[in-house]
Amino acid sequence: MKILDKLMNLVDAKFKEVLSKNKIILFDFSRNTKNLFEIKEGGKLSIDMNKATEEQKKLFKEQIIDAEFDDAGNFLTSRANNKTRQIKNNLPTESDEEILNFYKDKLSYDMWKALEIAITIRNSFNKGEDITDLKRDIIHKYPVFGNNLSNLTTQGYFDLDRHFKQLYESMLEDEGFDIVNYRKKVEKIVESLPYIVFITRYKTYDELSGEVKFKLTALKKYGTGILLLHGLGTENVSTALAITDEYKDDESIRIEKEMNLKRTIITVTFRF
Amino acid sequence: MFPHIGGASIKMKLSNLTFDKEVKQDILALYGKAIDKEGFIIEKDNPSQRVLTPKGEEIHISEWGGIVKGSEEFIKDDAFVLIELAKKLA
Repeated sequence: MKILDKLMNLVDAKFKEVLSKNKIILFDFSRNTKNLFEIKEGGKLSIDMNKATEEQKKLFKEQIIDAEFDDAGNFLTSRANNKTRQIKNNLPTESDEEILNFYKDKLSYDMWKALEIAITIRNSFNKGEDITDLKRDIIHKYPVFGNNLSNLTTQGYFDLDRHFKQLYESMLEDEGFDIVNYRKKVEKIVESLPYIVFITRYKTYDELSGEVKFKLTALKKYGTGILLLHGLGTENVSTALAITDEYKDDESIRIEKEMNLKRTIITVTFRF
Repeated sequence: MFPHIGGASIKMKLSNLTFDKEVKQDILALYGKAIDKEGFIIEKDNPSQRVLTPKGEEIHISEWGGIVKGSEEFIKDDAFVLIELAKKLA
């Protein structure tokens, strides 16, 4: 039996008529200004238990709440209910699942779980939905990397034709490859996002050089004195080295280069 | 471990019956629960016993998201928990 039908058995004839004339789709225990039942916007019937007798409370619990719980299997706050609906509508798609499967044994468990939420956030964001609450959860649970991971996911860096998979494939070619090193590298990049310039062939040299200059200026003023350049592939490694060369005579910057033997992965650290 | 919600075999639908944050304590009372001085959910009949999530976490009233089937599992209003519920919804 539906909630409305059950309610009909508990209300007087006058309110029964009111209920039958309105299309009620949601039932919410809340605070009302005047009455036990009030009809709110969006087809919501608000029920104020404070205005119910002890007998009515008992009936609500047994005939409405318990019966509905038996049927649906959940009784949530309106906020948790809305959030669950939003998550359900944006759960990882089949292609998202491929991403999650790829990273499952490569990232730490915490980062992998965060990636699942980050993908859900991306799907919701792409539909133009409000993602504030979901973002708050990922940041609250993982304050060190949650926000950055979510941003990188939305920008596609974890997609299977993009940066973090390419990084894995490049590192895999190195002798003595250890998955722990890959995991650490990903964590370092994610945690350092505001202090990173990704060297990519999708941007011109001038754009990348300008981005480095811009971030250096901003970080010198407000930042923590560090900027990372990260590049994958021979061409990007060359670009990163060329940009780095622009600062070789700058005495205010200490430069550390970290490259694999094949010169296909580079991280340049600028300290200032 | 993955958060456990309601057991693997249970399929659920999202209920159209909800409650607002201002009546959380009223709802808790219906389930024989209360909150202690620090705001954590406790057993009304055994106030030293805090109610735990399926993962064994204490639940502050501000984080409480509701109840789901297992038997009656009290859960947090947190995307990492709710995604496990969302996966079980028909």
